[in-house]
Amino acid sequence: MNRFLLALLICAPLPLRAQLLEIAVERRFADDAKVHIGDTVWIAASADAPEHAARVVAVTEPAADPATIMRRDYRVRLHLPDLAAILGQPDRVDRFGVGLEPGVDPDSAAERLNRVAFGYQVFRSSEIASQSSTTFLVVSRFHRAIAIISILASAVFLLCLMVLKVEERRLDVAVLRFTGISRRTVFRSLLLEAMVVAVAGALLGTGIAAVASAIVNWYYQRTFSTALIFSLLQWRTILFAVVLSIVLGLGAGSLAAWRLVRTPPLTLWRRAG
Amino acid sequence: MKGSWALRDLLRHPVRSGLALLGVAISAALLLDMVLLSGGIERSFEKLLLSRGYQVRVSPKGTLPFDTEATLGNAAQIVAGIRSTPGVVQAGPVLGASLFARHDGALLPLVAYGIDPTAQGIYVLEDGRDLSLGDSTHVLLGKPVARRLGAKLGDTLVLVGRLDPEVAAPARSVKVVVSGLVHFLYDAKDQPSIALTLPMVQGLGGPHLVDRASVILVRAADGADTGAVVTQLRQTFPKLGVNTVGDLVAKFRERLAYFRQLSLILGSIALIVTVLLVGTLLAITVNERLGEIATMRAIGISRTTVIAQVVTQGLLLVVPGGVLGIFLGLGTARWLDAILTSFPGLPAAISFFVAEPRQLTIAALTLLVTGLLAGVPPAWRAANAPIAATLRSDAP
Repeated sequence: MNRFLLALLICAPLPLRAQLLEIAVERRFADDAKVHIGDTVWIAASADAPEHAARVVAVTEPAADPATIMRRDYRVRLHLPDLAAILGQPDRVDRFGVGLEPGVDPDSAAERLNRVAFGYQVFRSSEIASQSSTTFLVVSRFHRAIAIISILASAVFLLCLMVLKVEERRLDVAVLRFTGISRRTVFRSLLLEAMVVAVAGALLGTGIAAVASAIVNWYYQRTFSTALIFSLLQWRTILFAVVLSIVLGLGAGSLAAWRLVRTPPLTLWRRAG
Repeated sequence: MKGSWALRDLLRHPVRSGLALLGVAISAALLLDMVLLSGGIERSFEKLLLSRGYQVRVSPKGTLPFDTEATLGNAAQIVAGIRSTPGVVQAGPVLGASLFARHDGALLPLVAYGIDPTAQGIYVLEDGRDLSLGDSTHVLLGKPVARRLGAKLGDTLVLVGRLDPEVAAPARSVKVVVSGLVHFLYDAKDQPSIALTLPMVQGLGGPHLVDRASVILVRAADGADTGAVVTQLRQTFPKLGVNTVGDLVAKFRERLAYFRQLSLILGSIALIVTVLLVGTLLAITVNERLGEIATMRAIGISRTTVIAQVVTQGLLLVVPGGVLGIFLGLGTARWLDAILTSFPGLPAAISFFVAEPRQLTIAALTLLVTGLLAGVPPAWRAANAPIAATLRSDAP
């Protein structure tokens, strides 16, 4: 119901009166409109409805809610009878919160209430949570899809770089093979090199991700004036990325190294020349 | 000659060339998807808003149409005022309300639109007959409702208005005949919507909806200056929100800033990957062929030709990779679009990824320029390698 009042707040100086309504405004509105506790604002149910004077009695910080962050609406709170009167809908509410006695099963309580319900519907808190999180499930699925494409692109990129890197060592490998170093030793050394590169790349990538994550949080928290965390770099994410990089790096490195050690040293020497 | 030299060199290393081509293709696909995402939904939204020719929306001030439950009072008077504004040819009020249909002993919740049949811009008639002015006996059904109720043209439905818990009975109910099946343009997928005449919905919705409307759609005359019409409406109705399609798209854009920024970041990453991939490959190729290049320079091949050869080699990776990437990108765009359009409440007609020639051209040109730029440093190095020193160091 509060949303009827959004954007309809008009700040104006007014001498305090005993019958003034009381209103709590959110901090973002207080900052933007330069409203302080004790100031008077005018509120109305719509732009063409009668205005009512209300005194700001509190500045609140609403719980961070990702569902409403993009709407940028200002939220205010009034006593229920005051709001109902302003809206011209006395004794009406949008919803009730129902607390159950300990031990009462929410499913059976909801079922019983729904059987006798007329004009209302009873939802379990978990149902509401599930419905309101649909948006985030969609965003999460989208992020996962983008991640799959990114991992695919990274894998090909890494494979290509490893092939190039190992192929660059043709002359070295040829010399090593000429001097009697076994294929296995050469293969291991190339693999070790690939692993060092992959680990170094993964660590550097983790550092870049940490910086990027900090920038994203700083930017969006400032933009939306919220404490919500937009980018959460978790240990399991880092571990996943590092392990994936190493596995891909080793895979690509071993593939390229295998091709190289299988080639006769003379051929490698000629190609390198 | 330049092309064949570059092509031969790529074919000489099929594995790395193939991998580079694949890498460019995936980067190109990601780039294309991000270009489509960056403005796709806005164009899709704009097209949808203009689909019935109404260029202006009037709604309660501070709100967007159907974004809140707020409604306009004195709707009839406002509509008459809008219709008398110079340049306006049509104004159609729409009121959205919750109603119920009796079905198999239960009540099916419905979204009811009250419209003026002579000026409606929210649905397209697909079968049957449209409502007429003052019609109080007919209803139009969207496909989801018709499917759920199993209703056909000519069937009778019982519609129930606001429910009153105090007396455990509907405040009002009416019998109506299904006169038409319609496609509601702004509905979410499977939204159970019906259309009735405006007075019917106002009456069924209860006393608080008398003479109210959620939004008024306004159509300016062909050739009329929409901006001037909007200015006039804002002057006449200072307490109402008057928005052009452009205003609504701008507000929509604000809410979807996340997707624009995400597309910018991921598009940039795709370009960086392309530059690194093509640049690294060309740098290594140039390193390997430095002796050959020095020999060419020694026998009189110009620097420009050497640069052109290296750049051509880059383009031979970027162009086929880009073409492959466009097909790949169009496929992944459909997949990503299917995910994003499952957002709850989003009009089913809206698409996040709109593939238009302009977007395809932008993506292709960006990739081409990126490929060219990636080839410049190695090409420069190849062209400026010291001939004598290189030949000496490469001599067996």
